[in-house]
Amino acid sequence: MRNAFAGSLLVLLAAGGGLALGRPAAAQSALPDWSGVWAMQGGTIFDTATVQPPGGRSGQPGVRESPPYTEEWEAIYRRNIEIVRQGTFPDPVSTCGTPHGFPRLMNLPDVYEFAVTPAAVWIIAENGPNILRVYTDGRDYPDADALWPTYSGASIGHWEGDTLVFTTVSLKESRDGDVIVDRTGLVLSDAARGTTRLRKLDDTTLEATIVIEDAKALTAPWRVVKRYRKQPAGTWAWDYACAENNRNPVTATGRTLTLGPDGRPIDKVIQ
Amino acid sequence: MLRALGVSALLCLASVAAAHHSAAMFDDAKVVELTGTVKELQWTNPHVWLQVLVQGEGAATEWSIEGGSPNSLSRQGWRSSTFKGGDAVVVRINPMKDGTPAGSFIGARFADGHTVGRWE
Repeated sequence: MRNAFAGSLLVLLAAGGGLALGRPAAAQSALPDWSGVWAMQGGTIFDTATVQPPGGRSGQPGVRESPPYTEEWEAIYRRNIEIVRQGTFPDPVSTCGTPHGFPRLMNLPDVYEFAVTPAAVWIIAENGPNILRVYTDGRDYPDADALWPTYSGASIGHWEGDTLVFTTVSLKESRDGDVIVDRTGLVLSDAARGTTRLRKLDDTTLEATIVIEDAKALTAPWRVVKRYRKQPAGTWAWDYACAENNRNPVTATGRTLTLGPDGRPIDKVIQ
Repeated sequence: MLRALGVSALLCLASVAAAHHSAAMFDDAKVVELTGTVKELQWTNPHVWLQVLVQGEGAATEWSIEGGSPNSLSRQGWRSSTFKGGDAVVVRINPMKDGTPAGSFIGARFADGHTVGRWE
């Protein structure tokens, strides 16, 4: 698997991946104002355009989306949907120990901040917390042997007018459920990469158009749109210390427990 | 006192709690109303926990009621002092499916009539 990953990355890097590598960083005065605190609109279904039933919520039994999966990965998704139905599809972030990863970090509750500088844009999600670092200083990706699959991958971007365009590569594949796209059971392979176009639609709306390509899991690019609404001036984002009082550990079988105030599970069934 | 409400008017009240974990343990088709006394509000991430003592025929039962994060709740007007030990409250929850004394917070009404959360 590691060799397959390295191979796909080499192809990406050799081809330039359609990326604008080597561009000079923009001046701060030329960059858009994305200051303030923002909240994603809608629930945490990743692809709201295809969710069934319409309006279904992430984690609700029987709810699914329709990415252009290969037959093999559609079967994986169907298995996950059945595990959701049984109530034992674990959310890896319930352990409070790992990031949500890309693309899920573009699909979180609570709030976001977008720090725009000439050299980089930081997408800071309060939930998690998660940070997506998008380098815009003209750098190239590290050599293939200096990259390894991570939750949030490696992102390089550039500006097209007021639109930030960035591509995220080197993502971790879901193994033993350690990273997911959302709680309906969506997962991607380690061949996944995403190209995101992030722009301000108006004074109070940011829009991210994310196109996921995955040579193993998808038969075609998968386009998903997320929107973020600017919160009232003076809104605070806070420290989100997930491990502070996590009363929902996950068992080895995927069951999420509930701890009582004494720290012991109160569940009748513990597996 | 504990009682199950008719669910027809309340089915639409989705759980607000499960930002960081699966909500599979909660029965979102069922609403239970608890009448009791606040023991404490644990104003902590990733969820606040409202501990409520409900007097039955014998000893009081302590219920653990999960809410959203203090971050999101504070932006909705909650404070760490919104519930204080000793407050008399009626709390509506989506209960645990397995019948254990816990659930997901929907709303609460205090003795003076003011409400917190969703209370239609």
